[in-house]
Amino acid sequence: MASVAQNISALTESAPAKAPLPRRQYPGALIVVEGTDGSGKSTQLYLLKRWLEINGYRIHFTEWNSSPLVKSATRRGKQRRLLTPTTFSLLHAADFADRCERQIVPLLHGGYLVLADRYIYTAFARDAARGCSPHWLRNLYSFAPIPDITFYFRAPLEVAVNRIVAGRPKLKYYEAGMDMGISLDRAESFRIFQERILDNYDHMVETDRFVLMDGTIQVNKLQKLMRQMLRERVDLAQFAPKKK
Amino acid sequence: MKRSAKTSHMAAASNRRSRKRKINDVGPPSRFYGTALPGVKEEELSGHLVVIEGSDGSGRSTQISLLTEWLESEGFAVQTMGLRRSFLVGEDIDALLAENAVTRITLALMYGTDFFDQLERRILPALRSGLIVLADRYIFTLIARAAVRGIGRDYLHGIYETALRPDLTFWLNVRPEIAFDREFKKSQTISYWESGRDMSLSNDLFQSFIRYQSMIKREFEYLSKRHGFIELDGEGSVADVNGLLRKRIAAQLGIRSTQYRPSHALSHLWR
Repeated sequence: MASVAQNISALTESAPAKAPLPRRQYPGALIVVEGTDGSGKSTQLYLLKRWLEINGYRIHFTEWNSSPLVKSATRRGKQRRLLTPTTFSLLHAADFADRCERQIVPLLHGGYLVLADRYIYTAFARDAARGCSPHWLRNLYSFAPIPDITFYFRAPLEVAVNRIVAGRPKLKYYEAGMDMGISLDRAESFRIFQERILDNYDHMVETDRFVLMDGTIQVNKLQKLMRQMLRERVDLAQFAPKKK
Repeated sequence: MKRSAKTSHMAAASNRRSRKRKINDVGPPSRFYGTALPGVKEEELSGHLVVIEGSDGSGRSTQISLLTEWLESEGFAVQTMGLRRSFLVGEDIDALLAENAVTRITLALMYGTDFFDQLERRILPALRSGLIVLADRYIFTLIARAAVRGIGRDYLHGIYETALRPDLTFWLNVRPEIAFDREFKKSQTISYWESGRDMSLSNDLFQSFIRYQSMIKREFEYLSKRHGFIELDGEGSVADVNGLLRKRIAAQLGIRSTQYRPSHALSHLWR
């Protein structure tokens, strides 16, 4: 058991965040895609998923912000604009924890290849851009399993922003970062917010060992590269359909 | 010269390190445990935060009703807070608890959301306006409940490091057996969560309640040392406990007289 003195220091001094639960080994593998909106990550993960599905691999696909558990609260908070950087972050963390505890972790223990469209790095990049302390965020998500591969799709800011702005009639309030009061113009606010997020992602390439993917490369060529990297780093045979 | 909240925190932290001083045992150097919440200036908070902790059946709510009346009669405006009272997620937590499908980290983080929604949107504005905030439970109950379910204490303290440090924290300590009697008398039943039935401690409801509350009590003994609680005997009479509470609060707020008799509306509580 930790000594009392150690515990006392933890609340005020920036001790490294420890895992809230003991880490366990598991036979599954976790593949994550990260990147700003419009970087092409979802398209690429979809194609990877289709390839694995068609070939009969044991996979599970999970998305950021999809749990029905906290949906009503998120909707209420967003509609009425009640969310602060802290409650925005905590609510998404609660949502992620639900998915993590009820899907991701059990599936990893059950030997699945888990594909995640966005993961904890989304919170690190986005919530820090909103003003949450990076140290606080790292601790908040320290219960999450570390991915086997994190593909980071990077597109230049203008390319990514144009893809989103062109495809949507209106940017949503929180999506555009309007809660931070950077600019009254939604498109302008969105651009500045995305720039901060991009910057935060770039800093994690080294610290979190991201695999950098050039989001401007042709879709099919990039997909070929992604499949190749997956085969190199993960033993796909263990997820293959069992032969009778 | 005005220092930013962050630099003053860092200075305070290095002070603490050099003197090897426990937090909370001398006048608090900062109103936050760690980094202040984004956008909050400490010097603006002219009100006072008084926390009452204790298990169900410890008399918290009774004492808060009486203290509110006393403070109002002394001319202080009072704001209260408590668990699951946030507009943002209060009802969602009720629904989660009713379903029993929720897992422990998710529940801990939903409670965290509930806490910070109240803190940021109700409590900080109240403290800026100079109100007295009476908290019916605070981060300590949340930490204790999650810790007995196996979530790391450092992790939990990390979540609440941006919370506001109370001016006074009272712990109404009662033995689990007494809490059981009082709760049973009040509602003729014992709640699922207050008896820790999610933890499979015992099939016997009484045993489960006692074991769970004993675990919580041990966490509180540890938290009490760490955070400098004022421990009161929650098994004393309502009037006695109230007298002790008034004495400490009066000293904190500079109220001279601690004389108080409940009004007719609250006289039924004064047993």
